[in-house]
Amino acid sequence: MAYRTEVLTLVEDGRAQALEKSLQAHGLDARINVIDVYSSENETVTKDTFINSVCNPVTQAANQSHPDFDWALEIGFLPGVTDNIGHTAQELIELAGAQGDTACYSAKLYLIKGNNLQLRDIEKIAASLSNSLIQRITIKTADEFKADGGMGITIPKVTLSNQGSAADQVDLNVSDEALSELGQKGIKNEDGSYRGPLGLSLHYMKAIQAYYKDLGRNPTDIELETLAQTWSEHCKHTIFASPIDEVKDGLYKHYIKRATKEIREARGDDDFCVSVFSDNAGGIIFDDNYLITDKVETHNSPSALDPFGGAITGIVGVNRDCIGFGQGAKPVINRYGYCFADPRTSPELYRDKNRNISILSPETIMNGVIAGVESGGNCSGIPTPQGFAYFDDRFVGKPLVFVGTIGLIPRTINGKPGHEKQAQPGDKIVMAGGRVGRDGIHGATFSSVALDEGSPATAVQIGDPITQKKMSDAIIKEIRDLGLYSAITDNGAGGLSSSVGEMAEQSGGFHLELEKVPLKYPGMAPWEIWISESQERMTMAVPPENTDEIIALLAKRGVEAAVVGTYTDSGNAHITYNDETIMDMAMEFLHDGNPETPLETTFTRGGEDEPSLPEPSDYAQELQDMLGRLNICSKEFIATQYDHNVQGSAVLGPLQGKGRVYAETSVTKPVLDSPKGVVLSQGLAPRYSDIDTYHMSTASLDMAVRNAVAAGVDIEQLALLDNFCWCSSDEAERLGQLKRSVEAIYDMAVTYKTPFISGKDSMFNDFKGFDKDGNPVKISAPPTLLVSSIGVMPNVDQSISLAPKAAGDLVYLLGETKDELGGSEYYDQHGKIGSNVPESDAKKNLYLYQLYSRAARKRLISSAIAVNHGGLGVALAKKAIAGGLGMDIDLSHIDLRADKALFSETTGRILITVAPHNKEAFEKLFKKYSFLYQIGHIAYTDTLNIKNVATCDIDALETAYKAPLKDY
Amino acid sequence: MTNTPKAIVLAGYGLNCEEETLYAFKYNGIDGDIVHINDLIDNPAMLDNYEILAVPGGFSYGDDTGSGNAFAQKMRLSLQADLEKFVARDTLVIGICNGCQILSNLGLVPGARDVAVTYNQSSRYQCRWIDVAMNGASKSPWLQGIDRMHIPVAHGEGRFMMSEDTLAKLTDNDQIAATYIKPDGSAAQGEFPYNPNGSTADIAAITNETGRVIAIMPHPERGMFSWQRDDYDILKDTAQREGRDLPEPSDGLAIFANAARYFGVSAKTKAA
Repeated sequence: MAYRTEVLTLVEDGRAQALEKSLQAHGLDARINVIDVYSSENETVTKDTFINSVCNPVTQAANQSHPDFDWALEIGFLPGVTDNIGHTAQELIELAGAQGDTACYSAKLYLIKGNNLQLRDIEKIAASLSNSLIQRITIKTADEFKADGGMGITIPKVTLSNQGSAADQVDLNVSDEALSELGQKGIKNEDGSYRGPLGLSLHYMKAIQAYYKDLGRNPTDIELETLAQTWSEHCKHTIFASPIDEVKDGLYKHYIKRATKEIREARGDDDFCVSVFSDNAGGIIFDDNYLITDKVETHNSPSALDPFGGAITGIVGVNRDCIGFGQGAKPVINRYGYCFADPRTSPELYRDKNRNISILSPETIMNGVIAGVESGGNCSGIPTPQGFAYFDDRFVGKPLVFVGTIGLIPRTINGKPGHEKQAQPGDKIVMAGGRVGRDGIHGATFSSVALDEGSPATAVQIGDPITQKKMSDAIIKEIRDLGLYSAITDNGAGGLSSSVGEMAEQSGGFHLELEKVPLKYPGMAPWEIWISESQERMTMAVPPENTDEIIALLAKRGVEAAVVGTYTDSGNAHITYNDETIMDMAMEFLHDGNPETPLETTFTRGGEDEPSLPEPSDYAQELQDMLGRLNICSKEFIATQYDHNVQGSAVLGPLQGKGRVYAETSVTKPVLDSPKGVVLSQGLAPRYSDIDTYHMSTASLDMAVRNAVAAGVDIEQLALLDNFCWCSSDEAERLGQLKRSVEAIYDMAVTYKTPFISGKDSMFNDFKGFDKDGNPVKISAPPTLLVSSIGVMPNVDQSISLAPKAAGDLVYLLGETKDELGGSEYYDQHGKIGSNVPESDAKKNLYLYQLYSRAARKRLISSAIAVNHGGLGVALAKKAIAGGLGMDIDLSHIDLRADKALFSETTGRILITVAPHNKEAFEKLFKKYSFLYQIGHIAYTDTLNIKNVATCDIDALETAYKAPLKDY
Repeated sequence: MTNTPKAIVLAGYGLNCEEETLYAFKYNGIDGDIVHINDLIDNPAMLDNYEILAVPGGFSYGDDTGSGNAFAQKMRLSLQADLEKFVARDTLVIGICNGCQILSNLGLVPGARDVAVTYNQSSRYQCRWIDVAMNGASKSPWLQGIDRMHIPVAHGEGRFMMSEDTLAKLTDNDQIAATYIKPDGSAAQGEFPYNPNGSTADIAAITNETGRVIAIMPHPERGMFSWQRDDYDILKDTAQREGRDLPEPSDGLAIFANAARYFGVSAKTKAA
């Protein structure tokens, strides 16, 4: 028997009001009631005690007659999809004393009233509120609703019937064609369907074939799936590891890892790196007591299919990288970065040739991604003060979703270095947190290929931040310091197969008993349990004498945990299911058996001739148009949705000055009684890749460094993270672009002495689909390198915001402005790419940053903004808007036509203001610097006045800057 | 002073501001502990050891089923009598943000479950700095001597809603503790962003009849130090120009200092 409770809101409901407003914007006039629906096979769902906890008697009523409506639209989840509200409701059913099956399923019922609303209108509303990959939709007219006596009760219970054997043999004694197909499409079921992509090349398949030929048997399905996970591009980073042209040790070792090694050696006693590239995050020294950790991840492919689910899973996933650093770090800051297509456009593109499956619109993707990180970050109590949104229409099929988490961990825990851990033979494998379901099967293999028609829906998941928060608090705030576990890591891509596989490398083997893994529902095949990426799980190595205590402590905090196996030193990866061996593979083959794949590259510089644009007739208008560009305008609507001051640690936030300018750098004080600050920023310049990825990369790195330096952190206290989001990485030309990019960041980081401490790559950001006529199209994201910077300042009172403080202050431009508009916002505004991409001079920049850092230490700089996308004109305008003060500026020192002077994107420049009483000390400090220009002063006016070029009303600039995205 | 007063700050199930809230009390000379709700349920008698109960901000149960509703249910089913006993003593109770929603669902403010704290009018989470005016006529120990505060809000469900009767009663009894105002001191009158959530009568905080229990949506613990403020850069720069140090305390600290004063702890003076 199934039961249902409906909660109706009787007063003004913000949710309904906001929906009505958004429908109105899309031309639909409707009145809406939002009804919360709880369905269960447990009768308690209809009892007062339960209702009392899902219904607020002041504003709501349960199971009442409905208001008048024309259409009823119900949206619930499909079986097996994470239903957080349902999960809470289940706990409330149990709190109300219910026994037996307490599962509860949430849904929303929208009662819609409006003149002349047609079925297609309701379907449109449904499409805007749901995602058919994960949700069910029921639509009824008022008459149908009455005739049926309501919506009916849906219980989306998962029923699986895995009647087969514990593991199937996979025949590898087949032709190369069949082997190749197996590697691509996956293992075939009896009914002819495929289980999902393995993402294994023929080259890899043949190595596996040879290994099993030697063993004299075929692999089991679970063995083959395990190899696919472990050898995936996502987990193994084969492209960065493989020999490439003359670089025999691969791009990662030769450039990135070597850069860090050389920098650390050069810094000697000043080396602040503690843990680099070896753990779930990188760690540097914060102070005598703490390390600060950082990790930035991407979650691009899932976000294309289910933006909310992809993004929330991304942010809570990278939180776990922090929790899984060393013995466990406490998440103290989140950051984000998004690359989207223009949300105001609706390109007609399909995943399938028959044009049945449309891509999600850029607006749907943007809104969903922003909401996913909002929910994940806010619910986890982690401030999110820093991020960006960048737009280019080539992100239409696959957005880039960067999420990062900064952690804090004691340098010493129980007498041992906090960043060290080691699973010991004999330790029990304990899995804690959420249960395992079929969600997220093939996530790792799927994210390593281009998105196409066959992309699996099971790869989509929704995060459950509260389950994770309970686990995180229990582990980080209580259990960690008891010293009960030898090692801990998170379950991310590849699930147990990855976390247990990696930890077992420390001990030398493992034996896992798969039937002991807690499941969301019965009937899963063993291979599915093993590679499922169900979220919110950590894996620990626990000495046998401590397992009972750790499981009991977690249970007291509402967190489930179970012993699922043992770490061994057998040299084998051994899995049993009810005592039957279903996997028995040498650890060595599992981790190092993938054959080398030598790569070859080509490179051709892109771009076009420098354009000769007519000079703008109205520079004030031109500047306003530039401010209204998506890559320049305010993203305040994102910043205010993200809790950026929880933990009480915010110093410099995402919106600065009276004019609330969206800043690229943040300062946080993560330890309340320490004066030290953590400075974060990021840099990227994807459009420069159209000309030369070398200069794209130096510009990105310089931006990340310069933003942070401008905010007052010493360049000697900065570390970096690299995130490569490339495309078509099976093409020699793209690999050539990649190689140049990696060379570039090696060169620049070594000059700056800013070490890389962590990095990640996503190599196939391509969309393969069909246009409106059914013709195949491939849209590749521009090669994108995100560089993230993290640094520590000794006292947050050294921080420098971007807003000018007082009239009379002097305005200086630091750095030379050259004719460098190739790939710039200004050229793009006029439909051009150009050729003169900004070329960064690392040595010259470094000298400036060192001087600047000294001036910051002496508190000589009153405000500062790094000159980035849109050039000096945009930087001046942002300062004027932020301060709400006028500026009188003279740019005659720049020997370029005014539009080039204003909009050139030459790197290495900082625009600052200095109080008059600091002028002398400041100029003395910069005496030997050749590119210091006093270009004007802050004025008690309401205009930005650029001599002989333009007089711009600040209100008009502010409107231009804030209007484009203000209604999102 | 003989005994240092002690604050119990609740944690668990998605509450997340317990550390900075306890810090605020300790900074003012109050001792305290963070206690997981399950431990309190196991041993409700421990409430006898405390003079102050704080339910901090957060996202208990992810705001599922209405913010604060599920956590309030957990408390109601196992702690109702103990909470009533605690409030009946000469104690102070504060619920901040999610804690405010929880106390309202429990009916500890305004005295029964007569007030809902529900979805923002924009239906969107808002994190921003606002100004609130304190009700000078309130007898709440939490508010004494505070005229107004510049502190942040961070919530998706902060809109106080209630019947006309309840509103009249709260107004008459001076149980409306704080209201949103514009920077010039005039009433926000529902205007966004000054009133960030569409709250009835611009209400930002209410108390029970004695004033000893307060439920407040904005976060005083995130606005207790000058370096936390959104205008810190300006305050710091101005102080530097005037050749003085910027004092560390800011508006929100006064709430916690009042709690200390109520129990006889002299206000901690920080070198300014």
